[in-house]
Amino acid sequence: MATPVIMPRQGNTVESCILTEWFVKKGDKVKEGDLLFSYETDKAAFEEESKVNGTVLEIFFSEGDDIPVLTNVCVIGEEGEDITPFIPNGGSEQKAEEQVKTQEQVVEETGHSEQKLPEETQSQADSDEVFISPRARNLAEKIGADIRFATPTGPDGRIIERDIRKLQQEGHLVTAGAKEAYLNLDQPLQGSGLGGRVATADLNRPAVSFAASEEKTSAALEYEDVKLSNIRKVIAKTMHESLSQMAQLTLNTSFDATEILNVRKKFKANAEKMGLANITINDILLYAVSRILPMHKDLNAHFLGDSIRYFENVHMGVAVDTERGLMVPTLFNANLKSLNQIAIETKELAKACQKGTINPDNLKGGTFTVTNLGALGIESFTPVINPPQTAILGVNTTEQKFREKDGVIEPYISMSLSLTFDHRAVDGAPAARFLRDLKESLENFTVLLAK
Amino acid sequence: MPKSQFVDPVEVRKKGKITFKDIPVNQYDKTVEEEKENYTTEDFLRIYRDMAIIREFETMMNLIKTTGEYNGVPYNHPGPAHLSIGQEAAAVGQAYLLDIDDFIFGSHRSHGEILAKGLSAIHKLPDEELMKIMKEFRNGLILKIVEKYSAAESVKELAINFLIYGAMAEIFARETGFQAGLGGSMHAFFTPFGIYPNNAIVGGSADIAVGAALYKKVNKKKGIVIANIGDGALGCGPVWEALCMAAMDQYKKLWEGEFKGGLPFILNVFNNHYGMGGQTRGETMGYDMLARVGAGVNPEQMHAERIDGYNPLAVIDAIRRKKKILLEDKDGPVLLDTVTYRYSGHSPSDASSYRTKEEIDAWMAHDPMITFRKQLVDASVAPDKTFDEIIDKARDLITKQLKISIDDSISPRMDLNKDPQAISKLMFSNEKIEKMEDRDCDVLMPKEENPQWKRVQKKERFGLDKDGKPVSKNRVYQLRDGLFEALIDKFYTDPTLIAYGEENRDWGGAFAVYRGLTESLPYHRLFNSPISEGAIVGSAVGYALCGGRVVVELMYADFLGRAGDEVFNQLAKWQAMSAGQLKMPVVLRISVGSKYGAQHSQDWTSLVAHIPGLKCVFPATPYDAKGLLNSALSGTDPVIFFESQRIYDIGELFHKEGVPEGYYEIPIGEPDIKKEGKDITILTIGATLYRALEAAKILEEKYGLSAEIIDARSIVPFNYEKVIESVKKTGRILLTSDACERGSHLKDMAQTISELAFDYLDAPPVVVGSRNWITPAHELEEYFFPQPEWMIDAIHEKILPLPGHVPATNFTKQEMLRINKLGI
Repeated sequence: MATPVIMPRQGNTVESCILTEWFVKKGDKVKEGDLLFSYETDKAAFEEESKVNGTVLEIFFSEGDDIPVLTNVCVIGEEGEDITPFIPNGGSEQKAEEQVKTQEQVVEETGHSEQKLPEETQSQADSDEVFISPRARNLAEKIGADIRFATPTGPDGRIIERDIRKLQQEGHLVTAGAKEAYLNLDQPLQGSGLGGRVATADLNRPAVSFAASEEKTSAALEYEDVKLSNIRKVIAKTMHESLSQMAQLTLNTSFDATEILNVRKKFKANAEKMGLANITINDILLYAVSRILPMHKDLNAHFLGDSIRYFENVHMGVAVDTERGLMVPTLFNANLKSLNQIAIETKELAKACQKGTINPDNLKGGTFTVTNLGALGIESFTPVINPPQTAILGVNTTEQKFREKDGVIEPYISMSLSLTFDHRAVDGAPAARFLRDLKESLENFTVLLAK
Repeated sequence: MPKSQFVDPVEVRKKGKITFKDIPVNQYDKTVEEEKENYTTEDFLRIYRDMAIIREFETMMNLIKTTGEYNGVPYNHPGPAHLSIGQEAAAVGQAYLLDIDDFIFGSHRSHGEILAKGLSAIHKLPDEELMKIMKEFRNGLILKIVEKYSAAESVKELAINFLIYGAMAEIFARETGFQAGLGGSMHAFFTPFGIYPNNAIVGGSADIAVGAALYKKVNKKKGIVIANIGDGALGCGPVWEALCMAAMDQYKKLWEGEFKGGLPFILNVFNNHYGMGGQTRGETMGYDMLARVGAGVNPEQMHAERIDGYNPLAVIDAIRRKKKILLEDKDGPVLLDTVTYRYSGHSPSDASSYRTKEEIDAWMAHDPMITFRKQLVDASVAPDKTFDEIIDKARDLITKQLKISIDDSISPRMDLNKDPQAISKLMFSNEKIEKMEDRDCDVLMPKEENPQWKRVQKKERFGLDKDGKPVSKNRVYQLRDGLFEALIDKFYTDPTLIAYGEENRDWGGAFAVYRGLTESLPYHRLFNSPISEGAIVGSAVGYALCGGRVVVELMYADFLGRAGDEVFNQLAKWQAMSAGQLKMPVVLRISVGSKYGAQHSQDWTSLVAHIPGLKCVFPATPYDAKGLLNSALSGTDPVIFFESQRIYDIGELFHKEGVPEGYYEIPIGEPDIKKEGKDITILTIGATLYRALEAAKILEEKYGLSAEIIDARSIVPFNYEKVIESVKKTGRILLTSDACERGSHLKDMAQTISELAFDYLDAPPVVVGSRNWITPAHELEEYFFPQPEWMIDAIHEKILPLPGHVPATNFTKQEMLRINKLGI
């Protein structure tokens, strides 16, 4: 009996994966454990091994195909066996039913009484065409909304009136004068006009850069067009949404890092003896943040438009730099974990990210994020919030500073922190108070540990 | 089921037998010599002249069709020509004694009858009256043409030219024809001479003519009515229904006073032995001799008789005797089996493959044009050359009229470029006539004393009490009360108004709408009909086109098929086919059922809406029911009045002032906003209004959407303005009715809305109808008829995904494709 190989479902919410590479071809003999193909979700990459011995009888998809999970990808069996029962889409009705069922199951399992509206419906999302109702199109024209920013919530991925209304609220608008030229641009751009409208003045910027690049093209091919990876696309979308939808601003402060540097030295010295992990400055920061955050619930929250969801525990997003790009795995319940646990688990998460084996379910659910550019010598920056979180803490490099103490000028090691917060959810003073408390706890870290 | 008649078991179980009287067959045997005492020379010659004119007219038609030329005049006539060459003696014989108060209705083969009846009328009418008729008809349009081109020497000659020209121009589809060219060969008529519509549907005239006879009887009009049909038509169900309705016992047994007695009706069969190519005697029928059928209809055997249609004097003799039976003895109806033969085929394309040349030759040897002429010559009525002169004169007449009737400058066709609305404005007469005649109404008591009327006056005219709670069914003014009030009011206003159908009297209608009318109305204004849906509607057509107003009922929409031809071909078309000369003040009440399965639960409004010429309404509230029925009963157009059995007992929930006690009209064609809203429009037809209201409640409470509900009320005509206005506001529309979804008129409305409001739509208009199945048992109906939940599901799936909504029914595109692919 031939065995179909399905596209595995990586995480509950993954609907499809991109097949990145075939390691076998039709007719190849494979043994159990041989690699068949690699694939990736928008968040991670995986490899699929053969679970049986046999011949690859048929391959249903090519590299680059976006394949719904649980769909047959190839069939392995004895030569001459009938593979027709395994051809995908043969029973499309059945599959549709299955999908409906799974949706229902998800609803049941998670116990949510509310079914989330699809962010984007699949059936038409693959196509570049924009499906929009006449009414929505007219409204967009009238108010000068850029429909490329609209998230379709109508049937079959159609943009409907309410999606344009949302754009209007979010400010993806263009002035009438600038509209025609703007809509012909290759890329959307941020507006400087009233309510964030793209005005004619904004149009000149890309025009200049286009002209420059044209000159270069005529000289020689000095660039390379690389298609965005899924991860890049997700980052682009999330970051852009973050900046375009929130009222972000950044507070900077610095603290005396003497204590944490000393503590860290002690940990390092006793690591082997005490069976401790390699506890880094970053781990110490994560620990401190996880203990201070519960006292500043505004910052351990999700801003949901018309409501704010406050979390009891801290699910810490930890920014990790990988070859594919920025990834932010979540350290769940960080406030309940010991410093040592934090150190161990953070390293595991980071490693999984770098290898691309991170479970997609671990890439979400964060309530606050810490990002550290200190190792790269950054002294201050404005980190970008991961929506729908309300804040993100940037950790900068250490530097020697001087201060006057009892009439004596003395040097000390200072470290600075950059907190970006969403002014829609939090005001400046509470954010500043959080930084003040965090600074105090870091400067007196041993006291914090004792708590 | 009148209680006055006792069904006695002793009587009906008694041993006995049925005996029949002899049915006369060709008993007339007088010679011309013997008839000289009854006819002058002039009479004899006029009979021959009329036959000659018809023969020449039909010969002209035959030559035009087969050779493209007549007497040196070329012409191409692409339209129909069902000719009666050979049947002239029968037509002339029948018409000889008829005057303009006697009406004839005909078939597709009726050129001869029209001309014969017209020539007879012209002979009888005084000159002044003839001139008056010609001047008044279509404002003298035809008269002016024949005056200018015919060089007639007398009014009668002018009138003959008028008759020939009017018929010919009509056949050639000229705007100057009798019906402006809209009737054509098979439908020409001229009511001022008592010539009523001819019908292209075989047997179609039978029940219509019964209605005309009913009109004469109920309204005490002079004259008799003859339905001329062919022998092939005896196989048509509606013809049998017409016989049943014409021969109802109640005319003689239950109708009272001067209304007692049989219908003044003759069913005359021009028996040419062929229904197209089927030989009725010996092949397609079993009656052996057609006159035998009368014996099966009533004890009088319909005074049936076979007469020799090849002898005009035999036919005249029969008509004389039958007129006496109808008018003096009041013992109608009558069946005549008039034997005749056509030499030409069914139509010019008929190669007569079904009969031998010998047979045709044998009949030609009996041709009255030869044999009657010989008899007249032999009896010294006139010398032979006189008849040649008559024929020459006829040829001259036909040739002249042909020339002018095909001359485009004299006889143009309707100019639809110049007046694109020329036909559309004839589809409805759109008149408002309170009463069709101004005289007292025959009633049995003052309206105010009618017990049901008194009961209704005591009811609560708004369905909710002060606290907004529903008034109990026993106290609330129901939808059926609205219908009752409109009806009883009209019965006391319009003396011509009659109502009939199944169980209309005593029972009060199957759904108690007529309860109490029996007390107010004598039999001739409200009666039970046989279970003959075809004849019920067909006779109403005849009653109305003669000038009366009538309300008939089909009880269930499912029975519409039984009256298919009468509703779709007759009721719908005669106003326009007559170029506006006929009015059709008929209200046809049709009830839409439920609970009774596949043949008693269908909403067939869509079938009616598809046929041009019918108005169609479907009120869903007492206020609308009364107002719309008042409008329908005051108009002059046929209105198919749909009612839903689900809501006969519903109270008025929308018109806050309650249903007015007095008279008011709701214009046909105007939808009504029953509930205002801003997020989605729901357009309903009929009883789904109340399910849409439930859906609106769910939308409001669960999803925070406010629905605007529009009750279509009317289906044809329909003013879309309100709906478009609403869609512009909401951007979304769902349409729902109990009709099966495929081919539902709602689809047509959805399409129209798409075109009219495309730029305002946020989603395509979505139709929620019943399944394309049989209607299952009542216990399963929730799976068949639209439910509020289906409406929510359809909105979620096709218009506006609703957060958190999990659909219970399948409105996906895949499902649409699947059910259409399977035709379910």
